[in-house]
Amino acid sequence: MTTISSAAEQPTAAVVAPPAGRPDVNRKKLARLGWLFSAPALIFVAAVTIFPILYSIVMSLRNVQVSGGGIKMTGITGANYSAVIHSSVWRYALGFTILYTVVTVLVELVLGTVIALVLERLTAGRGWMMALLLIPWSMITVINAEVWAYIYQPTYGVLQAIFQAVGLGHPDVLGTPTPAIIGMMVADIWKTTPFVAIIVLAGLVMLPGDVYEAAEIDGASGWYTFWHVTLPLLRPTLALAVMFRVLQAFGLFDLPFVLTNGGPGTSTTSLAVLGYQAMFKNLDFGGGAAVASTTALLVLIGCLISLRTFRVQVGKENT
Amino acid sequence: MRNRKRTGWHRFINGVNISTFLVALFIGLPLYWLIASSFKTPVNIGVDPPQYFPDPLSLSNYKSAFVDYDFGIYFRNSLIVTLIATALVLFLGTLAGYALGRLPMRGKFPMLVALLMISVFPEIALIAPLYILLEHLHWLDSFQALIIPDTAFNVPFAIWILRNYMLGIPKEMEETGRIDGASPLRTVWSIILPQALPGIFTAGIFCFTACWTEFLMALTFNSSNNFRTIPVGVSLFGTIDITPFAQIFAAAVIATVPIGILVFIFRKFVISGLTSGAVKG
Repeated sequence: MTTISSAAEQPTAAVVAPPAGRPDVNRKKLARLGWLFSAPALIFVAAVTIFPILYSIVMSLRNVQVSGGGIKMTGITGANYSAVIHSSVWRYALGFTILYTVVTVLVELVLGTVIALVLERLTAGRGWMMALLLIPWSMITVINAEVWAYIYQPTYGVLQAIFQAVGLGHPDVLGTPTPAIIGMMVADIWKTTPFVAIIVLAGLVMLPGDVYEAAEIDGASGWYTFWHVTLPLLRPTLALAVMFRVLQAFGLFDLPFVLTNGGPGTSTTSLAVLGYQAMFKNLDFGGGAAVASTTALLVLIGCLISLRTFRVQVGKENT
Repeated sequence: MRNRKRTGWHRFINGVNISTFLVALFIGLPLYWLIASSFKTPVNIGVDPPQYFPDPLSLSNYKSAFVDYDFGIYFRNSLIVTLIATALVLFLGTLAGYALGRLPMRGKFPMLVALLMISVFPEIALIAPLYILLEHLHWLDSFQALIIPDTAFNVPFAIWILRNYMLGIPKEMEETGRIDGASPLRTVWSIILPQALPGIFTAGIFCFTACWTEFLMALTFNSSNNFRTIPVGVSLFGTIDITPFAQIFAAAVIATVPIGILVFIFRKFVISGLTSGAVKG
C-alpha cells in the first residue's frame, strides 16, 4: 500500500552510510549540507505562512482600527472572540460548514468507491476514463461554479426546463435556502468525486490478489468479500483521502462566493466567506482575524485527531 | 483478475459497461454543457427551453471574451504567476526534498509533519496578515503578490512528493558521484535529478494546477484589472444584474484547455502523485 507511510519505512540510514574511517566527520558534513539545502525552502515557507499565522492570532487579540493611513492596533482584548462566539451568524456558518463538510465528504467517499470498483472491472478504455475523471479535478472552481450557476438559472437554466417538462414547476435553486445548499453540494460532488475515485482505484489495484482467491475458494459472496476483505484493506487509503478532503472542504470559499455570495440571506455563508466579508467588506480586521483563527484552530484539531484515530503513519525518523 | 469470461452480447452490455457509461455521463454532461454553451450566440444562451445543441454555432463569444472582457490580460497574468511560482517551487522543493529524504539531519521528522500541516492549512487564516504585509511593502497589485504566497503554499507538498521519490533512489547512485569527487550540488544536478524526474513532473503538475485555479488570494491582493488572474477575471465578468454566460464559457474553455492538455500528457504522474505521498485535492 503506497500511503505516506510505506515509502518512509524503507531504511534511509543505509543510503547515507559514510565510508569507513571518518564516519563522524562525514556525517556532520552531510547534515550541514542537508540544512544548507533545505534552508531556503524552510525559511521561505515559514516567512510566508507561520509568521502570518502568528500575526493573525495577535491581531485577533487586539483592537484593530482600519483607516486611510493603514491599520492601528491598541490594547489587548478578548472582545473579538466574544463577539464571534456570541454572533448567531458565526454559529450558523460553523454549523453550515460542518454539515457541508460531512455530507459532501461522505457522498464523495461512497460514490468514489463505487466508481473505483466499477472501473477496476473495466477491461477496455480505462485510460480514457481516468483522463475524463481528471478534468473536473483540474478545473478552476470558479468555472465549475459558473457552469452550475447556468444549469440552475431560474428562468432559462436547463434544470428548470427539465423540471417543467415533467411538471414539477419552476425551481429557483440558488434563490431558496435549502435547495441552494443542496445545489452547491452537487457542484462540489461533481468536481471532487472523481478525485476520490482515482485514489480508491489506485488502492484497489495494489491489493494482493491471493486474498481474493482464498475468499473465492471459501465460497464467500461478492458483497461479503467487499465488506470483510476489500474494505479493511483499503482503510489506510480511504482514511488519508477523507482526512485531506475534510480539511479542504472546511476552507470552502470559491463555490459560495461565486454561486450565491453566501445567500440567500446567510444560508450558504461558510466560515471562510464570513471571515472574508468581515475583513474586506466591513473592514473589521480584528473580527475577521478571530473568525480566521478559530477556523485554523478547528482545522488543526481536526488534523491532529484524524492523524491519531486513523493512525496515519507520517514517517519514521531513522537517520 | 476477477473478470469472468463473457460471450455474445454480454461482452458489451453488462453491469460494468453500463455503470461506466453512467459515470461518463455524470462527468461528461456538465462538461458538454460548458463547451456547447460557449458556442451559443449571446441571445440563444438565454432562451427557454434551452438549446441542447447550439444553432447557429457561433465563435463570437471567443472574440468577445478577449475584446470586451480583457480575457487576454487575465490569461497572460495567470500564465506569468503560475509558471514562475511552479519553477520556484520545483527548485526549492527538489533541494529540500533531497536533503530531507537522503541526508542525515536531526529534527527531520517534526519538520516534515509541520510541512504536512501547513499544506492543508486554510488560506483564509493567512489572508489578512499577508494583505497587511503586502500593503506595507507596496506590493498589492503586482505579480509578486501572488507568486510569493503561491510558492510558499505549494512548496510543502512538493517537498513531500519529492522526498518520497528520493527515498526510492538506490544509494549506490550518490556514491558514484562522491567517488568521482563531484561537488554535492553537482551530484544532485547530474545524478539525483534525472532519477527523480517522475517526482518532479508530479510535483510540477500539482503546483501548476493549484496556482492556475487559486482564487481567494488573487481576489484579495490584486484588485487592479492589469494584475487579475483568470479565476478572478472570469468571476467578475458582467455586472450585478447580467451574467454574460456565453463569454464566461468561452473564456472557461480556453482556460481549461492548457491545464487539460497538461493533465492528459502527465496523467500517469498525476495519478501516482494522488496515491503516493500525501493526498491533496
